Amino acid sequence: MINSASFLLIKRCIVKLIKQPASPLTGFGMSLFFLLVYNAGIGGIGDLEAFGNAGYLSFVFPITIISLAMGSSAGAGQTLNADMQSGYFKRLYLSPAPRTILVLAPIIADTLSSLFFSMLLIAIGAAFGVVFKFGLLSVLGVLLLSFLWSLTLCGFSSGVMIRTGQHQSASIVTNAVFPLLFLSTTFLPRELMQAKWLLAVSWANPVTYVLEGNRYLLAGTSSAVFFYLAVLILGVTSVLSVIYALSGAGKIKV
Amino acid sequence: MRLLYFCHPIILIMISEIIIGNVCKKYPNGIEALKDVSLEIFKGQFFTLLGPNGAGKSTLVRILTTLARKDSGHFLIAGLDPETDYRKIQKLIGVALQDNEIDPAGTVENLLIFQARLFGISAKDATQKAGVLIELFELGNECRKKAGELSGGNKRRLHCALALVHKPQVLFLDEPTVGMDPLARANFWEIITQMNQTENVTVFLTTQYLEEADRYASNMALINEGKICYNGTIAGFKKMVNPDRTLSLDDAYLKYIKTNHRQ
Repeated sequence: MINSASFLLIKRCIVKLIKQPASPLTGFGMSLFFLLVYNAGIGGIGDLEAFGNAGYLSFVFPITIISLAMGSSAGAGQTLNADMQSGYFKRLYLSPAPRTILVLAPIIADTLSSLFFSMLLIAIGAAFGVVFKFGLLSVLGVLLLSFLWSLTLCGFSSGVMIRTGQHQSASIVTNAVFPLLFLSTTFLPRELMQAKWLLAVSWANPVTYVLEGNRYLLAGTSSAVFFYLAVLILGVTSVLSVIYALSGAGKIKV
Repeated sequence: MRLLYFCHPIILIMISEIIIGNVCKKYPNGIEALKDVSLEIFKGQFFTLLGPNGAGKSTLVRILTTLARKDSGHFLIAGLDPETDYRKIQKLIGVALQDNEIDPAGTVENLLIFQARLFGISAKDATQKAGVLIELFELGNECRKKAGELSGGNKRRLHCALALVHKPQVLFLDEPTVGMDPLARANFWEIITQMNQTENVTVFLTTQYLEEADRYASNMALINEGKICYNGTIAGFKKMVNPDRTLSLDDAYLKYIKTNHRQ
């Protein structure tokens, strides 16, 4: 059960993020860029049969959700890092708050911030004509995938930051994930991929499952299996990322 | 492991607050910071641990406050074992270490309120306690300022105030008055001695200002190169160093250390 000290620490991290929103705003800006500019530039290819009936906007929308979390995770754990640098972490460490929550609170705050901007993106997407095939269920499904993806990236980013003691190193995870976008079905459906090696790589790429899972929920251009696999894969990676971050807690110098 | 001492003619019941038994600590670079340290500090005692730089004072404080782990030995705080009850211990102790552990982005008032709330104090009581401490530590003009904007001395005052906000039963003060002006130091010691005398708060102090230790503490231990060289009353230490003439603690300490180093 979450006690009052844990709640206070999570609240503090959220307030800090609201006061210094550079990272989540960067992710949000990047996502809006993908949504609006890509649709305006190459939206015409959405008329091809392989994109289904919902158009290119619904096809490209999942990438905005993915890039949003990537932007947020690049600055993951900024509160934790600031506390480590100022020595305030030591004071928190000396409080009766559970020590795991000192590491978890910033991860939870980063993930919740990503979730909030996902909701904003969904609202903007809906206003621009993104199709949600199953209505509210689709929205909840997209939010679930967004939550798990954000938790995965923020957990790993915080874990790296804790181990190196440097805030800039949090972006290592984002940089590592970035090439995966181009090795998946980000811009084109599988049917239009010509290089067989790329098609083969995309099957081994977890980003493909997140994208296709979202596409099942939006325009229904993919199979439901992709959604279930995406939940399973992200469920496992998010748990692993939190374990990775928590296992680094002992390395924080107090 | 609580000991009872009965002294005639007035019966004094002395309960052990901190029991340290054979604690050892070796750093990865091979330095033995603590070698079989054993001490006993009683409830309500004003105890000071003295020693030269690098003697092991701060290491012992860090271990007792659960910031660092010992290699071997044992210790109890108010009868609680840190291995199993560290969260209960955290509630009982107040800690002011050498560095100012302050969030520079928080205001003085908000940091005090937040600290109190972390210890389970209600929002209303936390605000009240913050107000009392702001007044006690003469931070009234600074209470809406961010901690990062405070002067060095005021940061130190806030740092010490944060250690007291939950009314601790045991206070660990590691060089607490470094950077404070004489008036602030006098004010700080007035607060601490009052807590010690009226609320029976146990004080564990390390300091290089020996006149402060001489004035306020009753018992002391001297640590050098990780070993306890003396453990007893301050008066006893002075007498041990120079039986013929009463020295100040400063003089007695210097004489003892110089002799010890020559040996």
